[in-house]
Amino acid sequence: MEQLKFIGKRLIYLAVMLFGVATLVFILTKMIPGDPTVANLSQRALSDPEVVAAYKAKYGLDQPVFVQYLLYMKNLLQLDLGTSIRTNKPVLSELSRCYPATIELALFAIVLAAVFGILFGIISAIRRNSILDQIVRAVSVTGVSIPSFWFALLVLYFFYYKLQILPGPGRLSKAFSAPATVTGLYVIDSLLEGNLPKALDALSHLLLPGMVLAAFTMGLITRTTRSNLLDVMSMDYIRTARAKGLGRTVLILKHALGNALIPVLTVIGLGLGNLLGGMVLVETIFNWPGVGQFAYESVLSADFPAIIGVALLIALNYMVINTIVDILYGVIDPRVRCQ
Amino acid sequence: MKKRLLALAMGVVIVLGCTACGGGQDAPSTEQTEGENASNTAGDSGSSTVVIAMGSGFSTLDPGYIYEKYPPLVINACYENLFKFYDNDSAPEPCLADTYEFSEDGMTLTVTLKDGITFASGNPMTSADVLFSINRCKNLQGNPAFIAETIDSMEALDDKTIVFHLTQADSAILSKLTYSSLAILDSAVVKENGGVDTAHASTSDTAQAYLDTTSAGSGMYVMTSYIPDEEVVLEKNPNYWGEATNVDKYIVKIQPDSNTQMMTLSTGDIDVALNMTDDTMAELADAEGVEIINEATKTVGFVMMNMNETYGGPVSNPKVQQAIRKALDYSGMQIICGEGTLTPYAIIQSGFMGSKGERAADYMNLEEAKALLAEAGYADGFDIDMTVTDLDMEGILLTDLAQKIKDDLAQVGINVNIVAQPWAAGYGDAYRDGTLGFTVMYWGTDYNDPNVQLEFLPGGVVGLRAGWTAEMNPELAAMYQETMAATDNDARIAVLEKIQDAMYEDGPFVMVAQAPAHIGYNTRLSGVAISDPYVLDVTLINIQ
Repeated sequence: MEQLKFIGKRLIYLAVMLFGVATLVFILTKMIPGDPTVANLSQRALSDPEVVAAYKAKYGLDQPVFVQYLLYMKNLLQLDLGTSIRTNKPVLSELSRCYPATIELALFAIVLAAVFGILFGIISAIRRNSILDQIVRAVSVTGVSIPSFWFALLVLYFFYYKLQILPGPGRLSKAFSAPATVTGLYVIDSLLEGNLPKALDALSHLLLPGMVLAAFTMGLITRTTRSNLLDVMSMDYIRTARAKGLGRTVLILKHALGNALIPVLTVIGLGLGNLLGGMVLVETIFNWPGVGQFAYESVLSADFPAIIGVALLIALNYMVINTIVDILYGVIDPRVRCQ
Repeated sequence: MKKRLLALAMGVVIVLGCTACGGGQDAPSTEQTEGENASNTAGDSGSSTVVIAMGSGFSTLDPGYIYEKYPPLVINACYENLFKFYDNDSAPEPCLADTYEFSEDGMTLTVTLKDGITFASGNPMTSADVLFSINRCKNLQGNPAFIAETIDSMEALDDKTIVFHLTQADSAILSKLTYSSLAILDSAVVKENGGVDTAHASTSDTAQAYLDTTSAGSGMYVMTSYIPDEEVVLEKNPNYWGEATNVDKYIVKIQPDSNTQMMTLSTGDIDVALNMTDDTMAELADAEGVEIINEATKTVGFVMMNMNETYGGPVSNPKVQQAIRKALDYSGMQIICGEGTLTPYAIIQSGFMGSKGERAADYMNLEEAKALLAEAGYADGFDIDMTVTDLDMEGILLTDLAQKIKDDLAQVGINVNIVAQPWAAGYGDAYRDGTLGFTVMYWGTDYNDPNVQLEFLPGGVVGLRAGWTAEMNPELAAMYQETMAATDNDARIAVLEKIQDAMYEDGPFVMVAQAPAHIGYNTRLSGVAISDPYVLDVTLINIQ
């Protein structure tokens, strides 16, 4: 019952937040300078009043802003995000086209970041102030500070261009055609097709962009894990457990890590939310047709319906992830459930 | 504990490493096992598939809507027009047309179709398809609708003969009919899928969704897949009526980053890289099996000085305009724009019929520029704002050109203050409304014909943006109609030359550079060439 109440509250919260985000983004997009007619019509077409009028009428740009807002909200209630001014296709179908590519890359990157981040954090904490600790700290600081577009070019240059040991840009090698869309995640769809080589190829194409995107979050996770584990390790109950003669592995994995992971979970959640919003430069360099590229092209075209659609998607990402993180808090720490 | 952790870390790395090797770029075993496009590796001399990387920035492949730079590459492969440019700098030649004839007054054009032309669907092409395609483009009222603005009406005399009634004599009509938006569609197929060519097409046509997934033309290839922002796949048209090349399939990757293109070309993952830059071309200079092309396109950068004193201030003065023309370092501008750049003689780009070629290399003369400024009453120079937008001309930032212009003009005492303004946030409106005083901008040719440049004349679309009305120079303005009416090429060339001479030293426009295109391609291909109308004419490429 309590769980249902919790979920119900979350859903109401979600609806209110989405309404707020839609309103805010709508107002902001109308306030910022930028005319979709100028951005999308050619210089020739702009000189023809008939073409300009037809264009404005087609996308409702000839209506007063308040009417545009009411129409937008009315459509939104029917899960219609409108038509993209740039592509002339429903925003929802455009997002469903490019979002799976982003989800696949983001999930891969966050798994990489979490696995290595926690691992490095533990190593760094248990070997505090050793050379290994210094190396891990240097790697994590580098991961956090290195500009992703530069890192992307660097790994592509070395691993793909010079050493030729990892695949280059794109989601698949050219020997394969895209799998039939079920989830839109190429690895899973290839497996569903029963095509293991294609699935492995798709997985291998995730490596370089995944590594680049993971670097930043991994650095944060490493640092958070290290500092929290060190805090927990200095607590009385750990000292007591150690005095009782518990081995270090059991002590860390069973008693210390659980408590240290709660803030780490928050970092992972935020990192995933960030990645799901799309990474324009990395997507461009790796020729990855995700949300970031779509958002970038939409902004250039002053494509308001698409911009609002992307903003709603990002807001939804964070809300869903935060809800999952809240639930996971309870799984890791029973005290949270009691609260 | 530490050993276990290290072992775990190593394990993860090894698993990932194995995955990478299993699906790496070469992946020969994978390809052979699957047998799917097994011989498709670019750069493999035995492959009949060619992989092209091109830039992004377009959102549809429906001929009725396209006007951006890259879609013509695909449209030219899948569709055909009545006329076509088989060579970048030549005149249009009949493609689907067999014969054509202008009436004496130039107001009517009669075109007869070739016999035996079929669409990819197997349907025969008739005059009705021509009427449908051109009316649809016109009535969709999209970006390319202007291309048919001089076509008043059309009539089909029979299945093979079409008569175009023009609103005025139009010496560029054959060039316009080569434009990708006027490609001939299989009207039966397009109508079945929501295509409409009536006056209400802009609201009732729903064929775009269909034409974004497949093609409906008579071209050498058919589009079998289009994943926006990712790739377009073209395969041989089994019903092609003409003689095809030996390339069976094209995979056109949308790969906007030039560094990525350079790397993928070098490793053999792609065969043609269309968006190279001067810097990335340098990397390819010694690459084995790679050929490079640096050639001027017809996209031209120009300085605009408003003739209306309210907006232009000192640069509205004709003497100041002459002084600025004399003060600019055109050779330096060519270095900034990269290898292959040209400076056209005047408003007609080098490569167009009737062009007078390039501006004299020694045209710059600071002393003369200073003297002209003194004559204009600005012996000590002046301060002026130059508004610049966030666009690029074939990859060359307009802000870079503005910086060079600022440096050049400082030599003669003109202090330029660069004011940045985004295109969609004010600049576009101001440019269109003719309220920009002093700017540097570029002009991409709407269609491949010197007549597109007539808009720079007084009273033309661009001329008015510089506050240059027809009344200010009636003689020059009259040459617009004179050129339009000259359906005989020799007569047209004569007028175009007069225009260029008149604007060599005068007027509010200084053409500073014809931007270059940089293409890298695998030497296994022949027929790769820069094409202004189609970016790359894939129907002329063969595998050696």
